[in-house]
Amino acid sequence: MSDVLVQACGLGKAYPKVHRSGDRLRALGRLLFTRADPDRISVLRGVDLEIRRGESLGLIGANGAGKSTLLKLMTGVLTPSSGSVRVDGKIGALLELGAGFHPEYSGRDNVVMAAALQGLEGAELRARLPGIIEFADIGRYIDEPVKHYSSGMVVRLGFAVIAALRPDLLVTDEVLAVGDESFQKKCVRWMQDYLADGGTLVLVSHSMYHVQKLCRHACWLRDGEIAMQGDVFEVTQAYLAWHERKSAPAPARDEIAVGALEFSVIGASLNGEDREQPVVLEHGDRLRVGVRIRSRDGRAPCVAVGVVRADGTPVYGLSTEMDGETPQRIGPNEYGCEVEFEDLPLLPGSYSVRLHPLDPEGVRVFDTVERALTIRGASREFGLVRLPHRWNRLRSEEAR
Amino acid sequence: MSLATLTRRFIARELRNRFAGSFSGGLWALMQPLLQLAVYSFVFVHVFKARVPGADAPGYIPFLVVALWPWTAFAEAVLRSTTAIQDNAALIGKVALPREVLVVASACASFAIHLVGFVAILLVLRLFGTPIRLAGLPAAIALYLPLFAGALGVALACAAIQVFVRDLVQALGQLLPLLMFGAPIFYDRSLLPERVRGLLDLNPFTFYAESFRAVLLGHGSFDPTRFGIALVLAAGLLIAGHWLFRRLDRHFEDFL
Repeated sequence: MSDVLVQACGLGKAYPKVHRSGDRLRALGRLLFTRADPDRISVLRGVDLEIRRGESLGLIGANGAGKSTLLKLMTGVLTPSSGSVRVDGKIGALLELGAGFHPEYSGRDNVVMAAALQGLEGAELRARLPGIIEFADIGRYIDEPVKHYSSGMVVRLGFAVIAALRPDLLVTDEVLAVGDESFQKKCVRWMQDYLADGGTLVLVSHSMYHVQKLCRHACWLRDGEIAMQGDVFEVTQAYLAWHERKSAPAPARDEIAVGALEFSVIGASLNGEDREQPVVLEHGDRLRVGVRIRSRDGRAPCVAVGVVRADGTPVYGLSTEMDGETPQRIGPNEYGCEVEFEDLPLLPGSYSVRLHPLDPEGVRVFDTVERALTIRGASREFGLVRLPHRWNRLRSEEAR
Repeated sequence: MSLATLTRRFIARELRNRFAGSFSGGLWALMQPLLQLAVYSFVFVHVFKARVPGADAPGYIPFLVVALWPWTAFAEAVLRSTTAIQDNAALIGKVALPREVLVVASACASFAIHLVGFVAILLVLRLFGTPIRLAGLPAAIALYLPLFAGALGVALACAAIQVFVRDLVQALGQLLPLLMFGAPIFYDRSLLPERVRGLLDLNPFTFYAESFRAVLLGHGSFDPTRFGIALVLAAGLLIAGHWLFRRLDRHFEDFL
């Protein structure tokens, strides 16, 4: 079960520079009569990648890093300029929008054509067609021309075709970003089942949440080269940290304005670490949230602590005032406190811990500082937290 | 999926494409040549009073029909297939498929439509009493084979070049009529001055125009030597066109 499905060696792609129409003619002449390559802009260089059967790989990187180009090379839509790529198996690809649908034809006709292009025909196709249409779930639009579809509908239809084909290797490019919430969930669920059945997945996404949820490995492309590959959490964290560094010159908090506030946060730490990059914990680990606050007139503040999921959904919030606590004085104008969560019930995913100083009455919020938190683990439970539970055994007469 | 099935699917799609939006659908394929024939008979026979020279010469309409329809098939196949790759850029960018199929399907569709029209019009002419030798019909259809092979070769080359040089299809639109009037389609070879008649043989279509007339109307004679040359030429065009297409194929995506 560990045979190599995709093997790329020194893979590179360069596009010719064509600005004026004369360039095209010259390029044609060179291609026909010489071996020399025309002037080129390199978009992908020296990519070595190996994907084993049953693996799930997330491909991440900034816009223009070469993710889509790499996928196109894998699927054979593009031919490499250097190096080679080999795929052993049936590949199902959903590249960007549309999957090559013809805008004039109805969704149904396009499904038939797309399925035929992937090798699904005749009686087998007829048997699976209702399933495809049901999965796409776009109602009466299935018999309308695709040009009248919304982008979400096009992706629904494209994904439905791929889902019906159950390829050895599934390649998707930003598919989840377009669908609505319920379709996203359906796709994620389908992909999880597909992976559980031994399928192989290459997922391009800008949503680290999806990448972490679906992929065990990740590969980070930066300016056409592999910057890092390996475990999904390590790679995504390094990638996010890189983004944060990139936007560091413009701090979210105006330090001077904040310093003038009555109360301001001067230090925030998760398990003793005060940094912008996410702190990584396992489900059930201990979490200590520490905060230091500067008080302008030396009064003791209230402190509120909130935990939100990466998308902003609140999970839990509390304050010193609710629990009848007061932060300790640790300096002339400085207060600090620490709250500890033992056996953290958060499920795997990305979260933020938010810290706010409030006035002693617990009414006005003065400042907000966030620290990222990533919980990892292989749990298949749904939701945000694990609720304590047990399964009761039914007595035989009740079971009847 | 096999190449044959794929090609069949694309031909079916191509045919639907061409008749999509016309309310009579497939019927139009048969109506079009008949209408065209009506126009030609009005213009050439009643306005220009065109006649074919010679004692036992056929009427002008059958004389024109048997050479013009094969030409239309050829010209349309070349012209339409030239943009086959460019028109399907969206598909090529998303799905890996052998790109020749798109050109082959387009050329096949043109030939299929015009071959059906050709047979239909011959039958109609026969019904109206024109002395068409229906016994020559299998030979005429066989003549379509090298014509198709040649058209496909030219189409493959043009479709590949069109990706790089977008003016090609415009240039073809001017070039093809030149080739048409340079072949004895609207006129008979004997109408030309003695010293330029030989030049007609430089045009590959001259052989087809005259051979179709020989087998279907008994006008002129069928020359086996020239048939041999035409076969070699058709095979050569096909091989050269395919070679060129293969050579440029891997660079299409960069220029589309």
